[in-house]
Amino acid sequence: MTFLGMPLMRSKHAHTDLPGGQGNIVETEPFPEVSHQHLSNQQLRTNIGHATSSIRDKRAGVVAELDDWEELREAGSRAKNQVMANLPEYLVEFEENFTAAGGTIHWARDADEANAIVTELVEANAPVLANGRREVIKVKSMATQEIGLNEHLETQGIDAFETDLAELIVQLGEDKPSHILVPAIHRNRDEIRDIFMDKMPDAGKLTNDPAVLAEAARRHLRHKFLTTKVAVSGANFGIADTGTLGVVESEGNGRMCLTLPETLITVMGIEKLLPSFDDLGAFLQLLPRSSTGERMNPYTSFWTGRTEGDGPQNVHLVLLDNGRTRALADEHGRTALNCIRCSACMNVCPVYERTGGHAYGSTYPGPIGAILSPLLTGVEDEANGSLPYASSLCGACYDVCPVKINIPEILVHLRSEDVKANHSPVSTQLDTALTGASWMMGDGKRMAAAEKGLPFAHKATRGGQINALPGIARAWTSSRDIPGLPEKSFHQLWAESEGQAESEGRTDHDGETENGGDEK
Amino acid sequence: MTDTAREEILGRINEALGRRGGGEYVSSTSGAVPSAPTERGAASAEVEHAHAGAPAAGGGVVGQSADYARTGTHSGEELIELLVDRLVDYKANVHRVTGDPAKTIADLLEAGSKIVVPRGLDESWLQAFTGDISVDAPGEELSIPELDSQAAVVTASAVAIAQTGTIVLDGSPECGRRAITLVPDHHICVVRVADVVDIVPEGIARLEATAALTFISGPSATSDIELERVEGVHGPRTLDVIILDS
Repeated sequence: MTFLGMPLMRSKHAHTDLPGGQGNIVETEPFPEVSHQHLSNQQLRTNIGHATSSIRDKRAGVVAELDDWEELREAGSRAKNQVMANLPEYLVEFEENFTAAGGTIHWARDADEANAIVTELVEANAPVLANGRREVIKVKSMATQEIGLNEHLETQGIDAFETDLAELIVQLGEDKPSHILVPAIHRNRDEIRDIFMDKMPDAGKLTNDPAVLAEAARRHLRHKFLTTKVAVSGANFGIADTGTLGVVESEGNGRMCLTLPETLITVMGIEKLLPSFDDLGAFLQLLPRSSTGERMNPYTSFWTGRTEGDGPQNVHLVLLDNGRTRALADEHGRTALNCIRCSACMNVCPVYERTGGHAYGSTYPGPIGAILSPLLTGVEDEANGSLPYASSLCGACYDVCPVKINIPEILVHLRSEDVKANHSPVSTQLDTALTGASWMMGDGKRMAAAEKGLPFAHKATRGGQINALPGIARAWTSSRDIPGLPEKSFHQLWAESEGQAESEGRTDHDGETENGGDEK
Repeated sequence: MTDTAREEILGRINEALGRRGGGEYVSSTSGAVPSAPTERGAASAEVEHAHAGAPAAGGGVVGQSADYARTGTHSGEELIELLVDRLVDYKANVHRVTGDPAKTIADLLEAGSKIVVPRGLDESWLQAFTGDISVDAPGEELSIPELDSQAAVVTASAVAIAQTGTIVLDGSPECGRRAITLVPDHHICVVRVADVVDIVPEGIARLEATAALTFISGPSATSDIELERVEGVHGPRTLDVIILDS
């Protein structure tokens, strides 16, 4: 049950001294301003509208196939709550198992530390090529996007090649991802063909057929897959009781990166754990159906440390905090860490569908981004203060979330945190207006007196819509119309109809009861 | 540096969870179950209890208190038909064989072509094929360029999940190491009827978690261009599944 707009009862203030995260999780400009620019981009709205509506239908179809979908969501939610409540124990358990299997674990407090660890590992394991630089291949990873790993590696003489088709489109187009699952969702096939023909020296002439474009990506990356010594990945799951990591993907670029290089470096947020391998029985149903709308994605890989004679023999994992502990400290917001990055919330969000992902600034756009980004950085420094308002609170995101994160409730909670942290306690026009309204509405006689003014107001506005108001209300009416004022209030109409009914000897509501009684 | 980071992050988590002192964490020994007190987190008491009971029941945390389906309702021919339907839906080619699959395998391969097989593959399956067979074995692994020159790979499989059309390879001698089913462009995979289960939790229950596992549902695909599914990107572009009934 969602109690939208109801203030949450709290035992203590959510303030914490824990450090916030760094990197690509901060909105670049306030959401209301940047969203206006994106709203005027017709091509962008068409591309995103087409993509989100088709994936919504696919998801709904495969979810409807399962009779136990709600039980699966409940199980998913419970498993993640269990992890968060016992996170130190699960991390240590995971570390012991992964290490015992021959893997090496590194801990990173923030983006800088994670970037430095990865750089050091690449320098130790990737050869310097003829061009004087080193190379790594990458599987799509939100965590490395968040910490700005590619940009950092570039400054250290290391070229990182994205291998996911959409990430490749984004990278070649010198663009930013706009969706966590389909980062190039804002590009249509014609734009992609142009990017490929422009940026792939060996591409030749291409059509806009998706099969032709996929084939071009295969040819472009094949040699890199077969020759690169170091790969960097993220992880969808870390299994505490076995020390196993998992990556869910479609194209086989994940398998290439996880299997062929000599060294594998995985960057994973500390919240990605599941208690037990058996939990995958639920999560491998929840994730594919919620994300790509498939019963199962084409490829999923699991590895536990190092496997003798199979795949990379030099296996590393960087466990990343970068603000996650700060989010965990907010007891009303911490369930945002349960997110399994499926992107279902984006695909149903009326705000995301119109503004696209870039408007959110952060690596994490859409409804989940609107709560996760400010939770990772803290709303207090005003960096992500406008994101919790980037929602109509319609609740569609909560309905589709495979781990039942109550996004609307957390949005409302973060709005109140933002108000407390960033907005002056000095009385504003709004406060004055609300105080006045409270005084008036708190007493029937005062309300009745005010209502007597209605006929005059109705005449003054000629009964039409109100499109612009002065003062503080101006901002509110900049994107909304107020319906025309009626001639009479509900109170007045009620008094009149009651009087009329009584004069006829019965009232409607009494009449219903009597009839019901007779028939029984 | 890293050790300090470890202690600091674990300390931060304890602080975030409101545990005493903020710097303590309970070390878990021999894969032990979390037992630290957690006053917060709505369902923690209930789920912790569940976790403690989990190993004996062979289920995870989730399994103890949730009631999602653990077993499917299909069996026999109905189960196999479901698997076939789902495999075909994701553009795998499906062949049903009773007894000896050798002829079917030979028909799917080009005569005289080069193929790779894992060391443990049943040799009789290849007796009708006339071509160049490389056996990939521990200590005698094919190099990546050698794998790249193979037209196809033939393997068995560990488990198949009917409801999702998923085949799982577990690195066993007849499945082989992961690279051999990845680099060649054509994968012929034999699924024994006895290894077919109905739903995902049944498949998970049959697997050894710490093996290198690959779940395959159809040939490689992408939906990255306007969310339109296109089969055939980096993984094998042709997947032939032979469902083998003894």
